[in-house]
Amino acid sequence: MALTELSFTFKADDPKPLPVEWSHTGVVGSGDMEVMFERKDLDGAVEFKVITPVTGFDQVWEKVLDRFVRDSGLADVSVEINDNNATPVVVGMRMRQAVEEARKEA
Amino acid sequence: MTDQDKLSGKSFYEATARERARGLVDEGTFTELCGPADRMSSPHLPVLGEAIEFDDGVVTGVGLVGKHPVFVISQEGRFIGGAVGEVHGAKMVGTFGLARQMYERILEEHPDELAERLPAVVISFETGGVRLHEANAGLLAHAEVMDQIQETKGKFPVIAMIGSKVGCFGGMGFVAAATDVVVMSELGRLGLTGPEVIEQEMGKAEFDSADRALVYRTTGGKHKYIMRDCNYLVEDSIASFKEALADVLSKPYDEIVKNRRIGSEELVDEQLDLVELSCEIQPKDARDVWAYFGNEDPAGIPEQTTEEFLRAAKRR
Repeated sequence: MALTELSFTFKADDPKPLPVEWSHTGVVGSGDMEVMFERKDLDGAVEFKVITPVTGFDQVWEKVLDRFVRDSGLADVSVEINDNNATPVVVGMRMRQAVEEARKEA
Repeated sequence: MTDQDKLSGKSFYEATARERARGLVDEGTFTELCGPADRMSSPHLPVLGEAIEFDDGVVTGVGLVGKHPVFVISQEGRFIGGAVGEVHGAKMVGTFGLARQMYERILEEHPDELAERLPAVVISFETGGVRLHEANAGLLAHAEVMDQIQETKGKFPVIAMIGSKVGCFGGMGFVAAATDVVVMSELGRLGLTGPEVIEQEMGKAEFDSADRALVYRTTGGKHKYIMRDCNYLVEDSIASFKEALADVLSKPYDEIVKNRRIGSEELVDEQLDLVELSCEIQPKDARDVWAYFGNEDPAGIPEQTTEEFLRAAKRR
């Protein structure tokens, strides 16, 4: 019944640090999610905290977020996601959008 | 093209709560208070296994329109239909508190410039009212916001902006009615009992909520403008809403409050006369009422552009 909280840590091969202190993107609509980036010294790693009503998709989250970190090169960031049943495709798209907007803000 | 230009031209209907909040005040002046980074999310939803949002579905902050400090409350319909829970309501109430403090401060520091520096509260409604997951707290929040609006009377204006997808229904319909000025686009919808609730309670024969034309004829901006439940009808862009806001704020307070639809004995009498009138003419559809008030082609009204409508419409 309660919300599920998932935690992951990944590291990119070619790290590009976030140019802003923090950044927020998205709305927790049905099938959608919001994401918050906060710069944090993690020795090049990215740590994730996902809060979602969905259960049983831990491995899918892991794969999608791992791929996102490798593709985007995000580093030294703490990421928090509030999810409301977003599909893996939507999650990937929102993450890319969030990075793009954070880099545009700078 | 600057960021604000992009925002200004954007459809108010499609904009997120944060875009509306930023776009309603002068460029670069908006400061969000109690924003996502403060993580003031609902303590009730996780227990029920419902998704949460960092801002609990409402963007609050302050910006400037000219010299007027404008306190903005902007609801996000995509998060649980913009429904008002405990934190969401507390953020609304807190914003009113800040506006009052600002009013007192201007009164003290700039008594000669009160008119041009008069603060305002702007609520961009997108909500169905109480969030049923935390219903007691949500109801209480409605009462508190009502109280806050009463506290502003005689001091500074509260302005309702209605033109988003969810519309403004339920308890928040009452709250919107209690504001000093209502600005809508023709896509905005305002009412107490929402179309789906009417259908559920009274049956499809009484009110078919899937009939969008019927829903808009009954609750939409054009109807509300004819009935004078809405003071300004504007095009569907953030810029048009902002323009209406600037126009309201350019007027003296005594002039602004003439836009109220309720709140005095005379206005209550006017509303009661309307009830009497509806018994008399027994309208079967909003079009009957439009015709009664002198609109020659009521069937054509939904097809008119906002501009054409404003030129020709006969109001109550």
